Amino acid sequence: MGTLSVIGGAFAAVFTPTNLLFIFGGMLIGMIIGCIPGLSVTLGIILFLPLTYGIKDPSTAIIALLAVYVGGMYGGSISAITLNTPGTNSAIATTFDGYPLAKKGHVLKALDTSLFASSFGGIVGALLLLLLAAPIAQLVSRFTSVEYFSMAILGISLLAGVSGNSLPKGILSGLFGIFLASIGVDAVTGVSRFTFGIPILQFGIDMLPAMIALVALKQVVGKLGEFKIKGGDMGAASKIDKKGLTLKEAKSILPATALSTGIASFIGAMPGVGGGVAQFLCYNQAKQVSRHPEQFGKGSLEGIAAAESSNNAVVGSAMIPLMTMGIPGDGVTALLLGAFILHGMQPGPNMFTKQALQAYTIIAGCFVANLFLFPLGKVMTRLVAKVVQVRYTYLAPAIMLFCFAGAFAGTGNFKEMIFCAALLVFAYFLKIMEIDPIPMLLGLILANIMETNFVTAMMSYDRDYLIFFKRPISLVILIITVVLVASMIRINKKVDALNAKQMEEATELHEQMNEEEA
Amino acid sequence: MKKIKIKTNLLAGLVMGVFAIVMLALLPSQVRLPMWDSGAPSPRIIPGICLVGILICSAILIIQSLVFHKEHIYEFVWDHEKHELVLILALILFVVLTRFIGFIPAGILIFCGVQWYENERKPIIYIYTILMVIFVFFLFQNVFHVSLPAGFMERFL
Repeated sequence: MGTLSVIGGAFAAVFTPTNLLFIFGGMLIGMIIGCIPGLSVTLGIILFLPLTYGIKDPSTAIIALLAVYVGGMYGGSISAITLNTPGTNSAIATTFDGYPLAKKGHVLKALDTSLFASSFGGIVGALLLLLLAAPIAQLVSRFTSVEYFSMAILGISLLAGVSGNSLPKGILSGLFGIFLASIGVDAVTGVSRFTFGIPILQFGIDMLPAMIALVALKQVVGKLGEFKIKGGDMGAASKIDKKGLTLKEAKSILPATALSTGIASFIGAMPGVGGGVAQFLCYNQAKQVSRHPEQFGKGSLEGIAAAESSNNAVVGSAMIPLMTMGIPGDGVTALLLGAFILHGMQPGPNMFTKQALQAYTIIAGCFVANLFLFPLGKVMTRLVAKVVQVRYTYLAPAIMLFCFAGAFAGTGNFKEMIFCAALLVFAYFLKIMEIDPIPMLLGLILANIMETNFVTAMMSYDRDYLIFFKRPISLVILIITVVLVASMIRINKKVDALNAKQMEEATELHEQMNEEEA
Repeated sequence: MKKIKIKTNLLAGLVMGVFAIVMLALLPSQVRLPMWDSGAPSPRIIPGICLVGILICSAILIIQSLVFHKEHIYEFVWDHEKHELVLILALILFVVLTRFIGFIPAGILIFCGVQWYENERKPIIYIYTILMVIFVFFLFQNVFHVSLPAGFMERFL
């Protein structure tokens, strides 16, 4: 079957009532979670993951999670505009212009701009994924276990290198994740490792309770603690008016949207960068080429469009390294990798040969989700925006109950809830030590792939430990790892400086506006 | 408000360094070698490499802190942190209670307690919390076919 016919079949598979229901449901949950400040898209995905266990078709499950990702990326802009608090990290740059425009009374215009740009960026990103996935997968299809092991090293190193504020802490976190995964009975030799005679450790630590405790529960507990400190003050959200984006205005923001989409698609496809970085680069670039740079920070439509198109474009392009090489681009795709594995799929070139229809169905699902983002956003934004004003004490118990029940559902064993509680305590200590848990999670997720390929390579090459440096492709991957980590750290430092400068400028402008208003 | 400034590089280096040393010392007793050689590499290799890596990173963090004075400071404000700690404790208690009395009673007790701690006094939020616990239990039981621990209510559910 040719690629085109597989793609055709994939689109047909997406347009089933079940898939469409999961796409709409996922996007709605994503929008709701994304728009609540303090809760991230990662939490949305983790929360939704156990609910996908009952889905028979793994591609439907992944599509549902991708829909959460797509909806969450847009949802982050709703609170950024109405509350001046980004719902997700990727919506920080949206506050620069979204909130000033909302303060001027043009909330719907700001939201429409965000929705238009998000949809545009998302569709292009997904299209890129559709076009590039197969050629890249073909390129890496000659990989053996040696190269796969090196690729896993590349994935963990990149995420460790760019996470948090310190490279040694990032690497330490990644290594700790692999160490955690080694606990339990070794699948190859049958030997128990670091079980200390405790029965529940015999089966090892599953990735689901780790994801739930280290990301989801940690966020909710932090947010609930903050709620207590603030005495339940939610901040006043701007009311949504009735004057939306006009066709003329949509045309005027098209160049900034296209430029940001292009940059973000390229950046997103590079493993280890992600949407958080892309938005600032795009915002800055759009400001430089704009005819009205003086409007940036004061409610510029181009500013909102640049920030929002970038973070949604990243959704599709970040899936390129994940689906073709099995390397996650950021924290969200790291969790998606975990979801793929939990659903019995292994992202990588083999997926495009052995499970081509499923692979393309997922890609088509990502495309369709982005396609439906605009109409769904138009209908649901007003309703979703009201969630921002729901007291957090209504949301938190529901999320925590779902977290524990979801962890339990993973294996149906009570030990998962015990791991959840233990890892939550551990997550608190990680916070005190300022160690990012995301590389740890990736270590935990990739450890099995790493060790399996390591063992296979060792058995195939008579325990030649230097084989990873002897095989040319593996050596190139390892060299790329070092080069990319070094350059990513430099890029991220530059972007951080740019980010700080832009944040400072935006805060000053916001203060000025507030003073003028007063 | 009393603040404690924590040098995170130093703390992380010390804690993780000690952890790695202890685990490396325990490696021979905790990871026994297989009785026969299957051709596979030793099961100690991967955890061993990780622990050595953690030790090296810890040493770098300690050197960064003590020699180059490169630090990230975490301000530990007890008045703020205590809320988070209370909530973590509540969730641990929830897990313990779930084991003994079941998901629904434990959920009702703990999450209503959490609402009280968050200064929620309106009855409606307590009714909502109780209904939410019951909803989650039956959602998992009837829709996802996962029986959450029912505890002493097992006979009735």
